[in-house]
Amino acid sequence: MPGAMQERLTDIGPPNFEEFLPPVIKKNYGQWKYHEIPQKGVMVHVAESGDKIYSVRVGSPRLISIDTIRFYAEVADKYCDGYLRFTSRHNVEFLTTVEENVEKIKKEMEAYGNPVGGTGPGITSIVHTQGWVHCHSAATDASGIVKAVMDDLSEYFTSKDLPAKCRIALACCLNMCGAVHCSDIAILGVHRKPPTIDHNNVNKLCEIPSVSASCPTAAIRPSTVDGKPSVEVIQENCMFCANCYTVCPAMPLNDPEMDGVSIWVGGKVSNARSAPKFSKLAIPYLPNTPPRWPEVTEAVRTIVEVWADNARPYERIGEWIDRVGWPRFFKLTGFEFQKEHIDDFKHAGLSFNRTAQLTR
Amino acid sequence: MPKEYKTPMLDELEKGPWPSFVKEIKLAAKNSPMSNDLLGLLERSYNERIGHWKHGGIVGVMGYGGGVIGRYVDVPEDFPNISHFHTIRINQPSGWFYTSDALRTLCNIWEKRGSGLTNMHGSTGDIVFLGTKTDELEPIFSELTEAGFDLGGSGSDVRTPSCCVGPGRCEWACYDTLKLCYDITMRYQDELHRPAFPYKWKFKMSGCPNDCVASIARADISIIGTWKDDIRVDAEEIKNYDKAGMDIFNDVVLNCPAKCMKYDAKAKAIEINNDDCRHCMHCINAMPKALRPGTDTGAVVLIGSKAPIVEGALLSSVLIPFINLDDEDEREDFFDLIEEIQDVWCEEGKARERVGEFIQRVGMGNFLEAIGVEPIPEMVAYPRDNPYVFYEDYYDDEEEDE
Amino acid sequence: MALTVEQIADEMYKQVEEAAQVKKKLKPGDLTKTMIKLHEDEGVDKKMCKAAIRELVNNGRCVYTYFGGSFIEIPHKEGASND
Repeated sequence: MPGAMQERLTDIGPPNFEEFLPPVIKKNYGQWKYHEIPQKGVMVHVAESGDKIYSVRVGSPRLISIDTIRFYAEVADKYCDGYLRFTSRHNVEFLTTVEENVEKIKKEMEAYGNPVGGTGPGITSIVHTQGWVHCHSAATDASGIVKAVMDDLSEYFTSKDLPAKCRIALACCLNMCGAVHCSDIAILGVHRKPPTIDHNNVNKLCEIPSVSASCPTAAIRPSTVDGKPSVEVIQENCMFCANCYTVCPAMPLNDPEMDGVSIWVGGKVSNARSAPKFSKLAIPYLPNTPPRWPEVTEAVRTIVEVWADNARPYERIGEWIDRVGWPRFFKLTGFEFQKEHIDDFKHAGLSFNRTAQLTR
Repeated sequence: MPKEYKTPMLDELEKGPWPSFVKEIKLAAKNSPMSNDLLGLLERSYNERIGHWKHGGIVGVMGYGGGVIGRYVDVPEDFPNISHFHTIRINQPSGWFYTSDALRTLCNIWEKRGSGLTNMHGSTGDIVFLGTKTDELEPIFSELTEAGFDLGGSGSDVRTPSCCVGPGRCEWACYDTLKLCYDITMRYQDELHRPAFPYKWKFKMSGCPNDCVASIARADISIIGTWKDDIRVDAEEIKNYDKAGMDIFNDVVLNCPAKCMKYDAKAKAIEINNDDCRHCMHCINAMPKALRPGTDTGAVVLIGSKAPIVEGALLSSVLIPFINLDDEDEREDFFDLIEEIQDVWCEEGKARERVGEFIQRVGMGNFLEAIGVEPIPEMVAYPRDNPYVFYEDYYDDEEEDE
Repeated sequence: MALTVEQIADEMYKQVEEAAQVKKKLKPGDLTKTMIKLHEDEGVDKKMCKAAIRELVNNGRCVYTYFGGSFIEIPHKEGASND
């Protein structure tokens, strides 16, 4: 339809957020003075003017139907003059100036099966990716593990406090659509088998030089197989990143027996106290065991409980481990320290323990 | 009559206290044969422990190169309703604020033209519509436009910018994240919809060093609010925290990374050496009624973070130690610099090389030279500790002429 | 002689076509760099190249594709499609 294109309206951008701000926010924009958390999941922000806004934070599965969104809209109409927002961790926040509405919102949401919580020192919703629901390169499911882990830890969302915030995130492969690499606990889907090469299709579907160039360890070389232009993979140089598969669909790595999950700990993005840092490997591999991944939920619970029992107030998991040392972490969690825990990619030496300072 | 799938594996995930995505898929499946097939397919994945999706690479809306991600099931004979199941990314409003009416409008479009399943929101920040057919893409686009919404980014373009709640509802916002996010999004509409870069480019804006949108971990340009003057102190409120049982010495003072606080336990008073303050936010987080950021506020601009693919994960590092984003001139200088950086990266960057990896490859010193920025000590954690220096100025200009 | 946006678009189209014959995909940046290299004296700059790419895509002669990065290609049936 070449003709139609000319009259088409494009590049209008998102709606201006100002259309969606409740009046109390418009009035006190940039003039907030302090906030308090009267109960878990509820915040009250007080403005210089004395105005108050109550936010009721509600956990959601992130993958939600329009029925549920319409329910949120209905609750917002009933108690919040139609105003609500979502958070960077997939929670919903109902915004009201009427204190009495807080308990009513809470009741409605809990009756719908969506818990109120996620504020202060504790666990909030797990940032996660699509998994088997919608992704071609997933090494594990995302929503299922998140559901199982949050079922197991929901008390830390709704009622129980921990020493500090604990941010959990899940990515179903190394592409890390969720950028989980700076989380207190990261659950990361991993492949462990080099790509299977579909030699009939490599040249049909892919640009061979780009496929070779896509490999961070230069393990992919052009090659001719049965007279057809294709590629070969130096198996021992493959570290299963799946970048080649992203560039070339004829090189899948997915495998039911070999795919699974790794667990990482101690990252953070906040600058509070210590600088932002990456998560470090705690468990190199756990198998995919749907529907409830008991090995994963147990590992996450172990980390949370060991940290809760040993950390000082305000100490994030990584800060606690920095203080007591990694040998203590592995001893207390009972996780086995293996060859895979020692980095062997670029700058690996920086992670060796270059001091004689050791705890007993 | 839609096929009825038995889903014993998924049914397990309807149990337990946390809200269930399976319940959501089942809700959508009541009205959508697509969601019904998705349910069947997912049960199959749970049994086989493997995904069944193929990544498309061409479907989209006319004229745009981003915003739609093609998806096809690899067993279309068994699940014909999700033979196509494309994702649409819709640019969220700054700070994810909505009215109920706006949400209903989105729901109505998606009920008519797609699976009825969404992500609120995707990791980058977009509203995600999960699953529709190729033929529906254009009608969805025009109905979204009608409703005042536009598509977000995907591929090698400016990805949908996102920001924290900022001055909308946070006392720590050191600049207007909501407005800057909106302004940047509008300024880069062309770059957002028509991918022309070596790889993706993300802007993320956090109003204070708590960095609630994780900008330092995943944005090519991380803009993190901070302040230059002294922390504001309300002495009375400090006493109230003490009265309420807070261990101010151990939990606040000893946790200060700069050791710039003194506590007088008798007077219940804090003294801060603001010259040494690192603006980390800890003391302010701990006592929001007593301590607040200063009033001479702005932001730190950092560059280059990314997830592992391709050459390993990076955190952003300091590019501009302080910028006053309310100042028209400073803002324009900032946008000029961004343009300069994108030009250099487009000229020299390799395919699938984020700007952070590009800087690693060419060297930060060379990169700064190329974009015309002077190196300053704020940019490094420490100066180099290896003596293999690429000295350049080992002869004068005159000698060069001879 | 200054080149028009239409002429740039036509030449870019040929480059895309030729690249496709050797199974090569071009990024918008590749097209822009090549055109400026060939025709800088004839007034071709980034802005014109951008306009030319927009023209090519808007009138449907080329499409954006996004398998392993974003490219400009001649419209084709995609590999993953089940149609």
